[in-house]
Amino acid sequence: MKKGADITIITGHFGSGKTEMSVNLALEARRTNEKVAVADLDIVNPYYRARDARAIFAENGIELIAPAERLAASDLPIVSGDIYRVIYDPAYKVIVDAGGDKDGATALGQFYNDWKDMDPEVLFILNANRPYVSTLDGAVDTLLKIEKASRLKITGIINNSNVGNETTLADVEKGLDLSRALSEKLDIPLLSTTLSQHLSADADSFLPVSQVKVISRYIKLPWER
Amino acid sequence: MGKVLMKGNEVIAEAAVHAGCKYFFGYPITPQSELVAYMARRLPEVGGLFLQAESEVAAINMVYGAAGTGVRVMTSSSSPGFSLKQEGISYLVGAELPALIVNVVRGGPGLGNIQPAQSDYFQVTKGGGHGDYHTPVLAPSTLQEIIELTEAAFDIADRYRTPVILLGDGMLGQMMEPVEFKNLTERQPGEKDWTTTGTRGDGKPRIITSLELNADALEKRNEKLQHKFALIKQNEVRYETYEIEDADYIVTAYGTAARIAMNAINNARADGLKIGMIRPITLWPFPEQPFIETRDKVKGYISVEMSAGQMVEDVRLAVNGKAPVTFFGRTGGVVPTQEEIYEYIMKVAGGVEV
Repeated sequence: MKKGADITIITGHFGSGKTEMSVNLALEARRTNEKVAVADLDIVNPYYRARDARAIFAENGIELIAPAERLAASDLPIVSGDIYRVIYDPAYKVIVDAGGDKDGATALGQFYNDWKDMDPEVLFILNANRPYVSTLDGAVDTLLKIEKASRLKITGIINNSNVGNETTLADVEKGLDLSRALSEKLDIPLLSTTLSQHLSADADSFLPVSQVKVISRYIKLPWER
Repeated sequence: MGKVLMKGNEVIAEAAVHAGCKYFFGYPITPQSELVAYMARRLPEVGGLFLQAESEVAAINMVYGAAGTGVRVMTSSSSPGFSLKQEGISYLVGAELPALIVNVVRGGPGLGNIQPAQSDYFQVTKGGGHGDYHTPVLAPSTLQEIIELTEAAFDIADRYRTPVILLGDGMLGQMMEPVEFKNLTERQPGEKDWTTTGTRGDGKPRIITSLELNADALEKRNEKLQHKFALIKQNEVRYETYEIEDADYIVTAYGTAARIAMNAINNARADGLKIGMIRPITLWPFPEQPFIETRDKVKGYISVEMSAGQMVEDVRLAVNGKAPVTFFGRTGGVVPTQEEIYEYIMKVAGGVEV
């Protein structure tokens, strides 16, 4: 029974691409929703978090729930209480961006009683080209630890396998094999595979269109702008 | 093994493991804590030892102890924690012990902040601790280059029996890039005839110490160290140049700042200006040669740093008054944009007083 917002919680191992996924999902959601909020619950990373996409959210009418700007770089594990305003409001689509691994997922645990009856969608982002999740055992171990720390059940897997700007289809396919194996092993549906813009032309030759999500990178380094 | 996507701090750790480092003693501090965390997980997998010390001071002295047995050992920190290690680094130099010390620099002085900076240049290149010494300093600008330079750092440390510093900034530590570990064969440090691993009646007892109560003997030891530093200056200089052959102005920058400056240089070239770059890879020994070769031809040098102006002093020494040297920098964790570097280059090249 839903008593609150339409919530999507993004989890995954360290450096799996959760923040970029959050930005992409928020922009997508904004096309059909008036009220979209991204909650930055990353208490692990010092930079390159959702709050670093502040300008993109502002431009696109997306609310950012994050520590006050003057504390954004404080190195303190702050979770903004403002998240309560949106998760209990059925008018909102809320995307929750947690930090990586079980350590980052710990910040989610405190909201268990808030969203347990709201059927949140809980995504596990997998990049098979990252250390420690490139094997099935590693991916299973990481996913189960995240479930335990967050007190949530993962409802879907996203194959976000890439090696940044140099990603080839082979990198994505490697991740697809692992994602399918993970999906089968834990009986969690594989929802989609991401492709970055430069590979999007190959999207339909690769997988049914319904299973591919073309994404863009929004958080860039100073020499990439 | 193909490319993997890694964070800079993880790359330093994995590169060290590849270089045969099995011992890590450290204490977490942002923005290099991922390095510590990675080692905590990784070293037990290769039969090594990770130990979180009670402080940075303890960690560097544990490094001293381990280095005395001849193993490849390292520690890492960020600016304030790196300052705490200075006494220990001076001891390592005095006792002639090889080790790798990583500094992922953040904004200072003092507690400062956790944003990227290059303001520890003086500290790493001019000695840092007490006594007459230098440590070799390697400054990668890409994550792939971290792999190459981490291995080089351990080799230099062993070859000269001296601690070596790998210097990055918070951006390099936190950013992600594809990298490839090409050499998977594990490296072992060569035979070392000075280690204190227990006497087997095979000669005189070996002593590792930086203590020498006799002034003449300590002067002799200093002479030996100075000879070693001269050899390092002669053999270990590394740098990269870009379009300096026809350049009117040469930008100098290292680490991530060089990558930002590179875009500004290319934009200025597209506008018809002849701009080049010298990127020091070793900060000590500082690459003097490319300056000596260009200083009579160019109209000036521009040092671009994430500091209030530190490397610019070495640029001035290398240029030796033969051409004007100007400086552009941002401090406190502010990362310069390519646009402002471009504007600065245009100003200098246009003859504006800066």
